[in-house]
Amino acid sequence: MSGFNQISSLNEVEFAPLHHYGPVTALKIYKNYVLAGYGPILKIYQMTQGDLLDVAEVFCKQVFSRNKIHHIEITSQGRLCLSGARSFMVLDLEEVLQGKGNFKERAINEWIVTCAFYENWLLILNSHNVVYKVDLASFEFDKVHCQEKSILYSGSIQVLDNGTVYVAAGTVMSGVIIWDLHSRKIVHNLTDHEGSIFGVKVDKTGKYIVSCSDDRSIKLYDFASGTVLATGWGHGSRIWTLEFFKGDNVKIMSTGEDCSLRLWQYQEGNSQLVQLEMVENCHSGKHIWSGDVDDLEYQVCVTGGADGRIKLHDLNKVNRTEYSLQEISSQTGLVFGKKDFIRDYFELKDRLIVLISNGDLVEYSDNSFKTIAFNDQHKLKDFAIVKGFSDINIVIIAARNGDLLIADFTSDLPQLSWIQDEYLGSNKLTNLLVYSTDNKYYVLVDVPNPNIPFILREFDSSFNLVNVTQLSQPNQTSFTTTDMVVDSVNNWLVIASRYVTIAAYDLSTTSMALFKKLSPGDTITSVQIITSKTNELALLILVKDGSYLYTTLTLSTTFHLDVTHANKLTKGFIEGGYIKSNKLVLYGFKSSYFYIWNETCQFEIMNELCGGSHRQWKLAPSKFIYVKDKTTLVIRNIAHRFVNDGLIHLGTHGREIRDVAVSPDGKLLVSASEDATIAVSQLEDGVKGIWSMNNHISGLQRVKFLNSEYMASSAANEEFIIWKVTQSNIPLVKEFVRLKPSAVENPDLRIMNFASIELESNVFILVTVYSNSNIKIWRIDLNKEHYGDMVKLLVNDFYTTCCILNVELLQKDDKTWLMIGATDGYVTIWDVTSKLDPEEHKLGASIIHQQLHQNGVKAMEVFTHQDGYRLITGGDDNALVVCDLQVPDLKLDIVGYEESAASATITSISVVGEHKFVTTSVDQIVRIWEYNEGLTCLSARYTTIADTGCSASMGSTIYIGGAGLSSWKVNNL
Amino acid sequence: MGKSSKDKRDLYYRRAKEEGWRARSAFKLLQLNQEFNLFDGITRVVDLCAAPGSWSQVLSRELQGKNAKIVAVDLQPMTPIDGVTTIQADITHPNTLQTILDIFAGEQADFVCSDGAPDVTGLHDLDEYIQAQLILSALQLTTCLLKPGGTFVAKIFRGRDIDLLYSQLSYLFERVICAKPRASRGTSLEAFIVCLGYKPRPGWNPKLDLQTSTEEFFEGADIGKAGNLEHFELPDDEERKIAKFVACGDINDVDSDATYTLELNRLALEPVQMPTAPPYKKALEMKRRGDLIRR
Repeated sequence: MSGFNQISSLNEVEFAPLHHYGPVTALKIYKNYVLAGYGPILKIYQMTQGDLLDVAEVFCKQVFSRNKIHHIEITSQGRLCLSGARSFMVLDLEEVLQGKGNFKERAINEWIVTCAFYENWLLILNSHNVVYKVDLASFEFDKVHCQEKSILYSGSIQVLDNGTVYVAAGTVMSGVIIWDLHSRKIVHNLTDHEGSIFGVKVDKTGKYIVSCSDDRSIKLYDFASGTVLATGWGHGSRIWTLEFFKGDNVKIMSTGEDCSLRLWQYQEGNSQLVQLEMVENCHSGKHIWSGDVDDLEYQVCVTGGADGRIKLHDLNKVNRTEYSLQEISSQTGLVFGKKDFIRDYFELKDRLIVLISNGDLVEYSDNSFKTIAFNDQHKLKDFAIVKGFSDINIVIIAARNGDLLIADFTSDLPQLSWIQDEYLGSNKLTNLLVYSTDNKYYVLVDVPNPNIPFILREFDSSFNLVNVTQLSQPNQTSFTTTDMVVDSVNNWLVIASRYVTIAAYDLSTTSMALFKKLSPGDTITSVQIITSKTNELALLILVKDGSYLYTTLTLSTTFHLDVTHANKLTKGFIEGGYIKSNKLVLYGFKSSYFYIWNETCQFEIMNELCGGSHRQWKLAPSKFIYVKDKTTLVIRNIAHRFVNDGLIHLGTHGREIRDVAVSPDGKLLVSASEDATIAVSQLEDGVKGIWSMNNHISGLQRVKFLNSEYMASSAANEEFIIWKVTQSNIPLVKEFVRLKPSAVENPDLRIMNFASIELESNVFILVTVYSNSNIKIWRIDLNKEHYGDMVKLLVNDFYTTCCILNVELLQKDDKTWLMIGATDGYVTIWDVTSKLDPEEHKLGASIIHQQLHQNGVKAMEVFTHQDGYRLITGGDDNALVVCDLQVPDLKLDIVGYEESAASATITSISVVGEHKFVTTSVDQIVRIWEYNEGLTCLSARYTTIADTGCSASMGSTIYIGGAGLSSWKVNNL
Repeated sequence: MGKSSKDKRDLYYRRAKEEGWRARSAFKLLQLNQEFNLFDGITRVVDLCAAPGSWSQVLSRELQGKNAKIVAVDLQPMTPIDGVTTIQADITHPNTLQTILDIFAGEQADFVCSDGAPDVTGLHDLDEYIQAQLILSALQLTTCLLKPGGTFVAKIFRGRDIDLLYSQLSYLFERVICAKPRASRGTSLEAFIVCLGYKPRPGWNPKLDLQTSTEEFFEGADIGKAGNLEHFELPDDEERKIAKFVACGDINDVDSDATYTLELNRLALEPVQMPTAPPYKKALEMKRRGDLIRR
């Protein structure tokens, strides 16, 4: 056994933590504050009620040196206790907010389950079901227990108004023990659950107990008798938090591993807890670890996840009004036939205009309906489309023959008039598209006959017809229009269609270009202008199948369209969306639900169980209006109560991060996570997530930049994707090409790692290494268009049968070497100079085959050094090895060796300066090493990122990934 | 060990079925033995947290004909194994100790092992704490029945503070080694502490008592564990040591991280033993029937 481990903490000042994202382990709402245990960091947010409820960070400080805050307790006077693992800290909130807090970390020698204040004592429940009763003045203490020292997974302490103190202990073996602190007697031993108890609470009146366990149920008990009153089933996996509502002790909130927040109610006599509300898709990945509820003051819930996100939820009941056709009939006196239904409608600022299938038009405002009379009602009998412009109070209704009914609601008395069609002849109108920009209002009429031109009418803001343009339809059998935009800068019209096809018209010349099959999906549901400048239009194209594209349309002599970003939602169809302050918001249907989804921040804004997309529906800024059973109009209000839709803090991946890389210009960070997504983030004032790319479906291994324009990622199932990155005000990313897998499909076959060298601009030698010992060398020419020209396999061979973990390509003086590190602990080098022409080679004999570690070479970095190279490897065996490689024969000399460079697996190495590098290891210690004649550890500091698995450096900043993401600055380089 | 698509990829998993082991972890103990000759001359053996019993199977086969007494302890019921006395009991209970000593006719054990692990929650610090408690519980019992010079082997998860455990164990054993069998995946934090040459702490008389927590149990042993300081001052960092690392098993053995291609159409083998029902069995059944409330 080597000596004392002095390198768990050393010259910690050499590291300065910058930003941290990781599990939110505790949350508490106190008055107008939200207190968050963000790992070891205490964050305090202040809620301010304006038009919207705003939540802003007012305090942030790492208060525990190593431990995470798992519990926050606060009295009505603002006396605060933070606890977690063995640490605790007593504070005064007022002092903390005034910057005068005394952040003295204290500790017991056991895991702390929970703590509570009782008179002048602090009660600390440890994991052996023992309460430390601590005098808050002297910090002297007594130990109190109930004779039953089971190991606890969970627990809580409830101090009743009458001074009774109950300890609720959740044991690892299916039992809940409730005991009285003063009498030290066990009141109840509840054994109704199966498996470990993950949460137990007594309500503040002492009337109920609620608990949850590994059996995925919530049980509410009558305190007096200890009998189960009701059980709540619904969570898809383990439940982590339970809270009684503050004002209503038969309501409970719960959160869990399934990333759902659920609200429950006990109804007397019902043996099932009734689920009032379920919120999904508010956190990424797995686990909502923490939450709290305020049903008295702000009517909110707050949740914190493994994704480092903190999110507010509205407790107010959803406002939904329904009107049946009978109701409309009785209010208006109109008589509808048995087969009549609600045809279509359009929402104006202060009223809703509804067209019935018989041609009747009604207006809904101030909760009542009234009839709108107009001529030639019969024209709208069997077919009609209702659109409009709410900003100028105009509704347009198209009839089958192409006539347009214009209804102007500017004045109290609506003005209705017909525009008679002069263009369609006997053809039938099938679609009506509208768009407004720059005080110009456009209406386009479409018929299926491709020989009949589109009729584009332009109106001014008083809705006088200014211009009519006839535009030839694209020369193809069916160009079904779905949406359009007009660009006022260039006077271009863009029409979207099925088969992910768009037509671009220059309205000055009426010249047209068609861009077909922009992605594999079917219908484009929406097209929108992102930015517009002379001869360049950035368009957002949304496809029904869940794909969304950022494209650039340019005109020189002809139109040109370039797709710069492409991604696809993992579930759900897209019907529309918008970009609001650089955030992409999408909406559509997911089975029977309508949803609105913030794609940039990855959470659902609202959803409505409406039955699916085959019904009539429309989305207005604050309403979702749909028709149920063809005859009932449902108006669902969307209460935008919160700034940023309640997002208090944006986190990162919800699962372990497997690899990180920084772009050559230092502006972007990409991360590959166990959740199979690649996240692209901007590095400005922290790590700001922009995209979560869903192209991979298998567990990710690595992500790296190939040059400033391309990056690549590898995963199981032989997935290997090369991405094109376009820097604009936000980075845009699209899959450029993916390597074809082997002939025999093997889901477990992982591309463990890869390396590349750029031969000339966007031409690379790429090597991929596999979990079955396969090594492939490719020549990739990204300037080519077709896969066959772009990708050539040069070498296809096997190392042994063991899994290869690391690979490097080295090139010097016309020579090229391939170097791998594998699970057998060996580093092997081949001279591949003669293997780089495009015919399949075998590797042949290696020139170096040297065991450096007992088993897995987990981390491998090589860089030029003097005339040759320096190689640093870190192993599963805790060892760090420094080797020099001499050119031209690449002779390997071990020049530095530290057997115990970490107390557990070294997982990554990042070079941070000449002779200096940083290592991460699963012992959660980050170390700076220097190799200069000998190998020395300069600094070692604990990171709260558990499962520390990867790192990347950019200058003096290092990014550390694992169960969370941290950035640190290395001082004194 | 169920009958699943894992069959295709994990050679140890498949070999375990072919050779009749109840779990692939059998190979881990075999490889540990290959490296450390753990089974040489042992006759009184205790397997803690033994269910489903693959380590007991290994012990039974390897010690066959050597007149060894093997006791397997678990809270869960276990299917009987030839030559192994299985007892369903709590390893922290004094009665369990007495039962084992009775089986050994009052003699001390030569070898104690534990392959136990709790279900992980995903909160790494909590999981590491619970695993440490499990090891300490096994160690409590071990210190009460292991003969001086005896061996203790237990599963660990190498994470933060594992060096605290190494340091504490080094007070109780001549040698403490962190061993990683090739059958244990490189991507897993799992490893095994192999503690050789038990040296009881002088003047310390370990005594199992249900009223004593593991921390209290080891208080008098003076093995470098921090106690409570006055006024709960944050203690200086405790003693930490890095145990020597040894990779076990032949380097040419099957690599548990590698992907192997098996010939197609190989029959899927029935598992040696069906997995026990999880606590959430009812929730799964309700989900299948559509009885779980979604909204």
